[in-house]
Amino acid sequence: MANMAVSRIKREFKEVIKSEEIVQCSIKIELVNDSWTELRGEIAGPPDTPYEGGKFLLEIKVPETYPFNPPKVRFITKIWHPNISSVTGAICLDILKDNWAAAMTLRTVLLSLQALLAAAEPDDPQDAVVASQYKHNYSLFLMTARHWTNAYAGGPSRFADCDQKIQRLKDMGIDEHKARAVLSMENWDLEKATESLFS
Amino acid sequence: MKVKIKSWMGVATWRWIANDENCGICRMSFENCCPECSLPGDDCPLVWGACSHCFHMHCIVKWLNSQPNSQQCPMCRQNWKFNIQ
Repeated sequence: MANMAVSRIKREFKEVIKSEEIVQCSIKIELVNDSWTELRGEIAGPPDTPYEGGKFLLEIKVPETYPFNPPKVRFITKIWHPNISSVTGAICLDILKDNWAAAMTLRTVLLSLQALLAAAEPDDPQDAVVASQYKHNYSLFLMTARHWTNAYAGGPSRFADCDQKIQRLKDMGIDEHKARAVLSMENWDLEKATESLFS
Repeated sequence: MKVKIKSWMGVATWRWIANDENCGICRMSFENCCPECSLPGDDCPLVWGACSHCFHMHCIVKWLNSQPNSQQCPMCRQNWKFNIQ
């Protein structure tokens, strides 16, 4: 990797390790290999959001042209959010695309992602299904996002109704994640979910 | 007592007067050169923008060249203009 990318990532790594947010356990960063090209990030779900209490893992790939191009970041932990694909974890955030600036760092990227969890932009969606639920059925969106935070990120809220419906589909031989995804997409309408799975 | 100075040798240090300690692009301290150079000083100068932000010249030129559609300061996103001092 180019000289500047490695030396900068090393410095930034130290900067994140020493930062205030680490002390508060709100962000974290780890090396994946010795080449400094791939890192693992972690952000805590912000308080007063459906992601509260969850820990979300991120895949961070540092391009050779860093910091002149942004790092490639994606959620590894499954999450229900209008600007994050519920299928691939791809993120729609301007600073990771056209609005990147060389003065931004891993720390500011992680903090921006945390801010994105607290303030979704449903009019600029990465996941149109989630965005539509957010706009047209906000209370159902909140429940689904909390349920996913519990199922995948260790969040505290359990919903017996969701678990029961997932179990019904599992009894029909459907994989748990697939059952959860289809029910979430169909606004937890068991009949519609079954229909879309078997038609 | 009278002292007669036969010879003397002056020693001086220098430093950049920048409004920050590190270059915001490579994050090396301004006392050092950019990662592409080996010696600080005139070969790896600092430059200032009209917005008052300061970078290694090599770093800001690389940044501006990597941004074909806009020429903005990586710190404050104002249009970048070199401040000729």
